[in-house]
Amino acid sequence: MDDRQIQIIKDTFWPLLEAGVIFTLPLTLITFALGLIIAVITALVRLSDWMVPKFIASFYVWVIRGTPLLVQLFIIFYGLPSAGIILSPYVSAVIGLSLSVGAYGSEIARAAVLSIQRGQWEAAYSLGMSRTQALRRIILPQAARVSVPPFGNSFIALVKDTSLVSVITFSEMFRKSQEYVALYYEPLILYSEAAVIYLAFSSVLSVLQHRLEKRLERFSAV
Amino acid sequence: MIEIRGLHKSFGSHEVLKGIDVSLPKGKVLVIIGPSGSGKSTLLRCFNLLEVPDRGSIKLGDHAFEFREGARISGKDIIALRKATGMVFQSLNLFPHMTALENVIEAQVTVQKRSKSEARARAKAQLEKVGLADKADSYPHKLSGGQQQRVAIARAMAVDPQVLLFDEPTSALDPELVGEVLKVMKQLAAEGMTMAIVTHEMKFAADVADHVLLMDDGRIIEQGSPQEVLHHPKTPRAVQFLNRLHGKSEE
Repeated sequence: MDDRQIQIIKDTFWPLLEAGVIFTLPLTLITFALGLIIAVITALVRLSDWMVPKFIASFYVWVIRGTPLLVQLFIIFYGLPSAGIILSPYVSAVIGLSLSVGAYGSEIARAAVLSIQRGQWEAAYSLGMSRTQALRRIILPQAARVSVPPFGNSFIALVKDTSLVSVITFSEMFRKSQEYVALYYEPLILYSEAAVIYLAFSSVLSVLQHRLEKRLERFSAV
Repeated sequence: MIEIRGLHKSFGSHEVLKGIDVSLPKGKVLVIIGPSGSGKSTLLRCFNLLEVPDRGSIKLGDHAFEFREGARISGKDIIALRKATGMVFQSLNLFPHMTALENVIEAQVTVQKRSKSEARARAKAQLEKVGLADKADSYPHKLSGGQQQRVAIARAMAVDPQVLLFDEPTSALDPELVGEVLKVMKQLAAEGMTMAIVTHEMKFAADVADHVLLMDDGRIIEQGSPQEVLHHPKTPRAVQFLNRLHGKSEE
């Protein structure tokens, strides 16, 4: 590695990290929060007896899981304007990513609710609780505990998936690194830099996930 | 207190209850025994409509239900009935994410809309009664099976049920833990609590029951005082079942 390359690293590392902290992380947090809400609602609808909403929820999960996220982002950002719907790169990114997190997450949430023993429902019912009360007070808190590891996985996957929105001109960290590559023509160094920062983000999040699991273990024998 | 008439229940093509009549007066203890698969648990679960019968009628205090094929029972009525009953399960079913005290508080606040402080005071009194005041802040997995079952009894009692239902409350426990649970149940019986109990503990049944039902294949084949049913059974099936329980050979 020569002096010029070292200088490039020095010049680009902080701006890249900055892009990561200002754009990638907030985008991850916002879309994950929205995705979680969509996931839980979709899961509850799919576990309910309402036929029409159930069909819509299943259809949504089927479509989102069955098509590439990249193609979905293209449709939202480049396709929808033809239908008169023009969205900013940021809004498009948030919609595309949240819908994706929501669809995959709904399967996690559904499995978590189904994993709670029937006896827990029966105990709640025997005390006079309605289905909603049983869900809110007894089932969901336990399901949340069960679903921390898989949701942790999708959270980390999401950090990395945010790089996809570079294709719809949203200048998050990866797009920033592409811009530097165009400027300095050092793809190996610059893309590796971006990779290192993604790795750092994921590692920190893994540690946080692990701590959350430990904390929740206090009321669980397993 | 409870009047059940002509109860039928099928799971698919398998008829589990084939016309059951039960009456349980206030303050009395009913014990239901019988071989596994005889329908005794299903019958008990009909008392609070965890299972909804296909035909027949149930009356519990002011709550009256008529069951017919195709007729829907309103969820509101079911909840009203359940508020008047408490249940203790074979599989314990404490809420694992709550301490013993929180388990006993929960329904008082969520269902009965009592204030937090009142619910807490009552929960403490109930735990005291089952001898677990010192375990109030323990999570269920830190408690033995017997202690968990006593918390479950306290939880069921905390909502002031008119009748307490026990579905094989000691069957999942280690033998040395059975006694402490039965002791609490005896104490409740002595206080005049109305109870319906499915159990295999014959000595307990003999001591506590006012009335014993012996079920076989979805029907009541013997009933009466513990003395009559446990010691002087009339039907061959009952004799066979009781002998097997006592480890005697079938002759």
